[in-house]
Amino acid sequence: MIKQAGDWLRGTQVWKSIFRHGPPTTARNRTMVMLSNVFLHLHPVRARASGIRLSFTWCMGGLTFFLFLVEAVTGILLMFYYRPVAASAYMDIMALREDVPLGIMREIHRWGAHAMVITVWLHMFRVFMTGSYKPPREFNWGIGVVLLVLTLLLSFTGYLLPWDQLAVWAITVGTNMARAHPVVGYEGPGANLLQVNGIALVHSGDDIRYALLGGRFVGEATLLRFYVLHCIAVPVMAMVLMAVHFWRVRKDGGISGPL
Amino acid sequence: MYLFDQAINFVTSPSVFFFVSIALFLASIEFAHVWTKPKVAGGIAVALVAFVAYASTKHQVAETLSKPDNLPIVIIVALLGFLYWLSMRQAVVNDDRVAAGEPVKEAAEKNRKVLVWPDLVYTELIAMVLCVVVLVAWSLLIRAPLEEPANIGRTPNPAKAPWYFLGLQEILVYFDPWWAGVGLPGTIMMGLIAIPYVDRNPKGNGYYTLRERKAAITVFCFGFFILWLLLAFIGTFLRGPGWNFFGLFEDWDHNFVAELNNVNLSQIIWVDLLGQREPKFWLAREMWGFLAVGFYMGVLPVLIAMTVGKKLFRELGALRFGVVVNLALLMAALPLKMVLRWGLNLKYLVYLPEIQTNI
Amino acid sequence: MADPTVKDRPVQWPSPWPYDFPVEGTAASAPDKVARVAGVEPAPPVQMTRRSAFGAAFLGWGAFLTAVGVGKLGLVRFLFPNVSFEEPQEFPTAPPESFSRDTVDETWKKNGVWIANVEGSIIAISTVCTHLGCTPNWLPSESKFKCPCHGSGYYMNGVNFEGPTPRPLERFRVYIGDDGKLWVDKNMKCQVEQGTCGDRKFGIPA
Repeated sequence: MIKQAGDWLRGTQVWKSIFRHGPPTTARNRTMVMLSNVFLHLHPVRARASGIRLSFTWCMGGLTFFLFLVEAVTGILLMFYYRPVAASAYMDIMALREDVPLGIMREIHRWGAHAMVITVWLHMFRVFMTGSYKPPREFNWGIGVVLLVLTLLLSFTGYLLPWDQLAVWAITVGTNMARAHPVVGYEGPGANLLQVNGIALVHSGDDIRYALLGGRFVGEATLLRFYVLHCIAVPVMAMVLMAVHFWRVRKDGGISGPL
Repeated sequence: MYLFDQAINFVTSPSVFFFVSIALFLASIEFAHVWTKPKVAGGIAVALVAFVAYASTKHQVAETLSKPDNLPIVIIVALLGFLYWLSMRQAVVNDDRVAAGEPVKEAAEKNRKVLVWPDLVYTELIAMVLCVVVLVAWSLLIRAPLEEPANIGRTPNPAKAPWYFLGLQEILVYFDPWWAGVGLPGTIMMGLIAIPYVDRNPKGNGYYTLRERKAAITVFCFGFFILWLLLAFIGTFLRGPGWNFFGLFEDWDHNFVAELNNVNLSQIIWVDLLGQREPKFWLAREMWGFLAVGFYMGVLPVLIAMTVGKKLFRELGALRFGVVVNLALLMAALPLKMVLRWGLNLKYLVYLPEIQTNI
Repeated sequence: MADPTVKDRPVQWPSPWPYDFPVEGTAASAPDKVARVAGVEPAPPVQMTRRSAFGAAFLGWGAFLTAVGVGKLGLVRFLFPNVSFEEPQEFPTAPPESFSRDTVDETWKKNGVWIANVEGSIIAISTVCTHLGCTPNWLPSESKFKCPCHGSGYYMNGVNFEGPTPRPLERFRVYIGDDGKLWVDKNMKCQVEQGTCGDRKFGIPA
């Protein structure tokens, strides 16, 4: 009965229009699965048996990507309720916990972010321990380092959004490093030499930290800027680099193995 | 038990803890073939779990652990402990095979290729499902932290950065802001990117091994374990109110006052050693600091190239050797500066308020 | 276009550049290659000397990069709004008599200053820690400012004595306004370690 229904389903025009191959029971069809599916096409058709062993890769790179997707989905859901305005941000976070059904969306988002930081580090550790950064994968290692930094930045920019004491002070301490930038930060080396008639050219109202915060202190404008950085700017950069990263994994010979 | 607690508090005082950790780490590289044996490693794991269970009965440890944002550092330390064992175990096995004249495990099945459907995609599916299960369970059990609403006028004590930046915050105690906040993070990133271009060792590409690239693994793991994660651990568990050090089992005393009278190198040499007043002119005042830094970053690499690093210099060439040695010296500068702070109360080697720069 | 067999296909693709910098007319130019592949008569060779080619390239790229640079500057300027809605930088506090000797008044901490009557003058000390910008706490029992972030400590006059901070707390301009109150002007600051705080602008006699 079920088998008949399955056969009928596979015979319909709709099914055939979506899947251009038979059930993945033969080597040919399994190959076709990988070749005809745009998402699975991320993978090669065949891979080295030693490379895909769990004890070799620990699946950390794949989990990092998966966690990025989890963060994207839960993040979009959170955006339905959250307004990046100082007057309401904290209340919206409270509402997400108390008033919204399935009130663990923010928890998943936050713990997923921590988990992503963990997996991305462990991925780097694995790649180092297997020597997988060696030629021909030097460039992709560099891309990976930048992606690691972007992951930390994503987590850091998101830290401010609940607008509680934890958030504001962590961001205050973190962004103060910006004001120590040479020349462009008003407390960085050399900034005090840039003066005209005793009036400083680089001061707290026009340095790089001001551009980051949209003000002299962490405030209303900062919340909006970090919100945009967190939701749009950094994720887009990360996505572009991830595309390069995955593509280069394939082009550089797939998961590494002995030469 | 009292004695044991006191011993733990002694071991977790900053200088002792730092050096004990370095010694343990070096031992873990040197004696990898001993401790990675499943039985030994299992014993160590049981002992560690027992210790964590005992530690969490202590008031301050439980307090710190109850802050949900502190949990990830425990998770990553535990996971990394396991994965460090897993990688070292495979490395030791591979090294033994090479010593016996066999190919490494990965090479033995080098030419065996499998179809990605179903072998890999199902592994990935299971990993994804497990990941979601863990995340949902974690979210159900522990609420995301939410403190009182933001108040710019009141700084919490201690005010801590997110856990993954606590290592950086710890570095900030010892270095000038521009150096710790801009210089070192940038150097770490560029140094990481430079790894494949300076590591010219063709061996160990795509399989676990320790013997064939011992130096590279030692340096990288030292940076990752000690200079990043250990500092983050210290920042989480040992730094209390006023950013003072507390032993692991000590309660955080908000009224604790530590003597922190730090002095600059210029004062130590001009005033304390030579008994003079500090010269007015900045170049003369800071000459000792400039000499020290110049020797460390400029002369020392040359000396190393001429003596212990002769072979490395020949292999890498001047440019790569310069990058490697300077990165390694910068890495070593961090513990060195800490030692100087603990030993001499040294604040800065070069103190230049004239151009807002200190080293 | 006739379908060329595999054998007929040119080994090399046409150059992506508009021309091939021909040297003494030996190499064929790109349009020639394109024409040959397409099976039409080659166009007359492009007359371009090496010098003029470099000149054109220099001019073209130079103009392009300049335009990009100017655009970037515009982007940077975009990040700095013309109007700021922060607290005013100049504000009144209280009559100077109300600050008693050797005390620190925390009333205007939310505006970013402590008013301290110390060493015979009334000064306005910035509440921003010079290490990494946390707000220190005033501890009256120990008579010091202590930063909770990294443990920097300052005396009552704002001069640092412990912890990682590189320099003293900054001071702002103070003056007696027409209303007899002490006004703080945060637009002007002085730094003790640079010796700019001796001026009467930065401390009025108590």
